[in-house]
Amino acid sequence: MTLERADIQGLFARGYSNLALATFLLLGLEDDGSGRRWLGDALSGVTTSEDRPERRAVNVAFTASGLGRLGVDGEALGQFSNEFVSGMTAPHRRRILADVGTSAPERWDWGGPGTPTVDGVLLLYATDRAEITALEEEQTAVLHRHGVQVLHRLGTSDLDGFEPFGWRDGVSQPLVEGLGKTGPESFTVKAGEFVLGYPNEYGRLTGHPPLGRNGSYLVFRQLAQDVRGFWRYLDSATRTADGAEDPAARLRLGSKFVGRWPSGAPLVLAPDADEPALAEENDFRYHRDDARGARCPVASHIRRSNPRDSLDPDPGSDDSLELNRRHRLLRRGREYGSPLTTDEALHAVDDGEPRGLHFICLSGNIARQFEFVQQTWLNDPKFAGLYDDADPLVGPSEPFGGCFTAPGEGIRERFTGVPRFVTVKGGAYFFMPGLAALRSLAGAGEPGNSSSPVGS
Amino acid sequence: MPFQSALSVVAPVRDGAADELDRLLAEMGNGVANGEVIDFAQLSGVHFARIVVVPADTDHRGRPLPANLVYLADLDVSPEEHLSELARSAGEGVDRVFGHCEGYPAGRPGDHERLDWLRSRVARAPATYVNTRGRTKEQIVREAELREAVSDFLDRRPDLRDRHPRAVRDAIRKFVGGEPGLRWALEPADRPGFSARIREWAHLAWVALLVLIALPFTLLAAPVYALLLRRHEKRDPAPHNRADEATVLELAALEDHLPMNPFTAVGQVKPGPFRKVTINVILYLLNAVTRHLLKPGDLVGVKTIHFARWLFLNDRRQVLFASNYDGSLESYMDDFIDKISWGLNLVFTNGIGYPRTRWLIKDGCRDELAFKDYLRLHQVRTVVWHPAYGRLSTANVAANERLRKGLHSDIRDDREREWVQAL
Repeated sequence: MTLERADIQGLFARGYSNLALATFLLLGLEDDGSGRRWLGDALSGVTTSEDRPERRAVNVAFTASGLGRLGVDGEALGQFSNEFVSGMTAPHRRRILADVGTSAPERWDWGGPGTPTVDGVLLLYATDRAEITALEEEQTAVLHRHGVQVLHRLGTSDLDGFEPFGWRDGVSQPLVEGLGKTGPESFTVKAGEFVLGYPNEYGRLTGHPPLGRNGSYLVFRQLAQDVRGFWRYLDSATRTADGAEDPAARLRLGSKFVGRWPSGAPLVLAPDADEPALAEENDFRYHRDDARGARCPVASHIRRSNPRDSLDPDPGSDDSLELNRRHRLLRRGREYGSPLTTDEALHAVDDGEPRGLHFICLSGNIARQFEFVQQTWLNDPKFAGLYDDADPLVGPSEPFGGCFTAPGEGIRERFTGVPRFVTVKGGAYFFMPGLAALRSLAGAGEPGNSSSPVGS
Repeated sequence: MPFQSALSVVAPVRDGAADELDRLLAEMGNGVANGEVIDFAQLSGVHFARIVVVPADTDHRGRPLPANLVYLADLDVSPEEHLSELARSAGEGVDRVFGHCEGYPAGRPGDHERLDWLRSRVARAPATYVNTRGRTKEQIVREAELREAVSDFLDRRPDLRDRHPRAVRDAIRKFVGGEPGLRWALEPADRPGFSARIREWAHLAWVALLVLIALPFTLLAAPVYALLLRRHEKRDPAPHNRADEATVLELAALEDHLPMNPFTAVGQVKPGPFRKVTINVILYLLNAVTRHLLKPGDLVGVKTIHFARWLFLNDRRQVLFASNYDGSLESYMDDFIDKISWGLNLVFTNGIGYPRTRWLIKDGCRDELAFKDYLRLHQVRTVVWHPAYGRLSTANVAANERLRKGLHSDIRDDREREWVQAL
């Protein structure tokens, strides 16, 4: 099936890695039609999956409340998924996503019950600082002209492909069928897993209102990373018997947490030391190459966020890879905060600067993809037979999961009392509509009738 | 010691008592039982227990399906022993809960009167599943204590890290032998006795005999059955009704308080003798398979279920399914779809509104979203649920059992090294 690229927003086809900086503007709309008028003005600037932007890109997505304020009626809204409609802060979702304690929505900077309702997000991308500033000014002026409120502004920084703890990020992305880049069939995921209107991994169409066609759910989480706390924990957990620092052991434990060395080299292929030559290497399997996790612990971040061939009932088989394909995320996140070296993290005075990741992913089914990965693979201390090990990097430590187990040739190494290094600062479930849907939302046409719906 | 038993008590709720009963259950738990009114943790050999109210409904002909209070317990003791303990030591709580049911003795019944009434309400589950038959609650809980103690011991002894597996195992055995509270682990766990095993063999022989006798008739009837089946499958309505947000939120509020969850669902059996015969035969055979043929810990590919059962309600017009499983409902439903869709379809296809199947086992729940909505719409709120070891997954329980076995059995070389690596 051919993807209607010109009708799908550009963030689906690419993460704009050539556009080094981004700004995300969280929007508040009114019921008075001003949002529709703004959208009508902004429409022509929206980047599609057909475009190959070289300087700037603009995408836009709305929450359920935002769609309501743009005039989408309750019946059409009810045809979107329950997760999207009830939102990220629905009470039981705190347990699914481990948004408890310091990550509880009451403490969020945006998207929580104590802050103004977020109706939309405007995602701006540009090549450099001057360009992003100009783009942001232009877009803000249009927003102001129509009386659309910017509730919160989220800036990003260019860490050159590394996340704030210091590891290369974004190495492993699903190959999407029909998007050009090809690879092994067992790693290629059906487009319907990420964009509505196309068959998913079950060979079916995910239900949606006409407005949903060629659109994707967009999960946004602001994840603050405690870079100093992270390195200080690694340091204290790896000191030698006489209390001296052991930088090699420290780096090794951090890499065991991640499942890759800082360069990106996977532990499965480089178990003993970092091998920058393997930085981009992504062709490996867990069950086949390292079933027990002696190289890459079962509890490590990349092994549980994408277990590849290690899923029951038949690890190592094609069936196992097929199951894995039903739980992939198309990640589009961006880092924020200035880089901090290990030495600075350990020894310098706290500069108080926030650092972290604006986690963004596109999804056709939030429950089966984002929430499943979050709950069943990352947060569940029982993942793959573990005892009390949540994800050491991003998972909770309370009420369960504060252990980390690294199997070896003899007795395992066990670390207890691993604190939580990542705190949620905000988040929401958005929907990123197709271009025709945006036009109809702006009032330029009837919802979804601009082109004939596929199946449904 | 007998094998595990599944007790089911089913009692119609008195007219007008449903709301008060709901309030009482809300006092007793919020997805997990809190020990108020009836403290299940104090009763002997209870793995899991739950009290649910199956709301009143009407069947396809408009006849009433009265609301039922359903008490389910997975036990190491016999149902009779459990009931008498319940009547004796939790009598006041039993009165408060079952006092909302029709025919419950008025005033303050004596232990005997209470017990007689409970006995009269016992229903037999046509099919049950036990993750590992013969493993008691006491064994599971004690082996978890053993595991914690051994883990802490290893953390205190980094010098053992580079030692030969034999030396490690000897050190652990010495440690366990020196702890009065752990010494039991050097002996094998109790297994069900000779008479219990004889009964199992006798049951298996009986089922085999029945199957043999029925075989010629089954073969003769097969073509007719196949025709009828396809006609039913094509004709039965299979609407995809969305589970509305409010329903999902209400159910989800009770879930994910622990790394495991209970699942309870009730469906109506499709009308007509064809479905009635089909569901009865399938549940009978299913029970024989889970009881005699399954490898321990593995329900044909699904390894995360501790206990499960199927139960008829209201003159077999409704079927209740109850299970205790690891992880989230989303992962549980995915397991159903991805791993045992055929087995699930076999049973559920006889329920009204289930996604359309072909030849009993094909399609059905493979229609992912229709199936997930169907389950949510048939789910029953499980407010009072007691898991005796709510922080142990089936994999944990099995690993702890292997740890203990390695202490008292003779393992060498590779197996000894694997045992040490798995600690």
